[in-house]
Amino acid sequence: MYTITCPICGKRNQKEFRYGNEDVGPMPSYENLTPEKYLENLYSNGNHAGVQKEWWCHRQGCGTWFKVERNTLTNLQVKTGEAK
Amino acid sequence: MGNKLKRMWPENGLKSSYDAVIIGGGIHGCATAYYLAKEQGMKNIALIERTCVGYGGSGRNTAIVRANQRTQANLRLHKEGLELWPVLTKELDFNLMFNQSGHLSLAHSESTIGAFRINVSSAQLSGVDCKFIDAKECKELVPALNLSRDITHPVYGGIYSPPGGVLRHDAVMWALARGAAEQGAHIHQGVEVTGIEMSNNKITGVTTSHGKIKTPNVIVAAGGYSVQLAEMVGIKLPVHPLTIQAMVTQPLKPFLNLALSSGAYDIYITQTLKGEVATGAHMDEAPNFTSAVTSICLKHQAEMLTELLPCMKGARFMRIWAGLADMAPDMAPIIFGNDEIKGFYFNGAWGYYGFKSGPIVGKYMAKFIAEGKTPHHLEQFTNKRFARFRYTGEKAVPAEIGPWN
Repeated sequence: MYTITCPICGKRNQKEFRYGNEDVGPMPSYENLTPEKYLENLYSNGNHAGVQKEWWCHRQGCGTWFKVERNTLTNLQVKTGEAK
Repeated sequence: MGNKLKRMWPENGLKSSYDAVIIGGGIHGCATAYYLAKEQGMKNIALIERTCVGYGGSGRNTAIVRANQRTQANLRLHKEGLELWPVLTKELDFNLMFNQSGHLSLAHSESTIGAFRINVSSAQLSGVDCKFIDAKECKELVPALNLSRDITHPVYGGIYSPPGGVLRHDAVMWALARGAAEQGAHIHQGVEVTGIEMSNNKITGVTTSHGKIKTPNVIVAAGGYSVQLAEMVGIKLPVHPLTIQAMVTQPLKPFLNLALSSGAYDIYITQTLKGEVATGAHMDEAPNFTSAVTSICLKHQAEMLTELLPCMKGARFMRIWAGLADMAPDMAPIIFGNDEIKGFYFNGAWGYYGFKSGPIVGKYMAKFIAEGKTPHHLEQFTNKRFARFRYTGEKAVPAEIGPWN
């Protein structure tokens, strides 16, 4: 069990949140977009054993989507990102 | 009695070159090494394991085997896999404690019954012995089952597959590793791979914590860590490493003589020969590499078990543990090799199915490596399927089911 810090509600139980995958950057532009490139943006995870930047949504709280830097080896947050 | 316990396999020094290096000492790695040495005649091979053989998912699963998957590709593989256990018991001269008790998967809604009918039909088409049974027949098989309508997920029926069963996973690991070593493979425990070397898109070797090894073939079978190894050669894969938790209760009188699973309750249950009830739960939602266990999971398991099998009220859990499962978006494995990078083979993303498929996939992987060409049985699991939007269809999602699977 670990906690996630919501920018609005503060430190809460992880079970209140929905994991929104790794932050892989913005969607690539439609010009010259190939299925492979699209797919890489959609699916390809770094699966870092260490600090990774990821999206979370406070599903059972305020509903905000925000970025978090979490160490996947310890489940501890490095720092909280800004709400978007 | 009084004999000093001997090592099951000898410890060899790390050679400077091997014909093939298998990364990962789990069931897939050991089986690949065993069949590579035994059937394909590649004796100069090394199995590299970071911790010890069977430390990861191979020794942490609940050891249920079955062959009632949804897709043809999985069905023929798992059917052959199921038939392999008795053969392996003899071949490896090791009691794998294969208890072919049968497997019952419960349906808790009309829509699940619909999905199960597809499952049963495709399994029967592949020659797998399984049938759809109603709630009353489920009760006959498992008298302890609660058929009340007042529970969270009332039982509507289920798929009963007599060839399913349970094994002892540690025995399987020891036997396969010993078998591979007897055939000439070197098993190196406590050696970590830090890099994979290649030139002109050809594998040339691996760097490890104990020095460099020259090799033309690298096989990645490292379970939850496979994706990071694939990334060492620049291949990105859509996999999430998620933890699954499992636990056992104190020994109870025998009341369950088959492997029972329920999708809606998110549990699978077996009673070991000792009487302990081994039960597994759902996956964590966010990827992590810890083996942390949670009280929420324990609570969920206790609630669900006592609701489905009321006779378990008052039983105590003795142990809980967690293991890593690498999951692809369509819940099917990813197997490819020798295409863009010559000599690089990947066998991973097994998620829930790693243990059942171990030996049979090892057998086909060995063939794959010896011939350099994907065997028909493994073709559908290519990593190219995602770019073609051709999922294997293992999940009960209509959009993922089509003429290609």
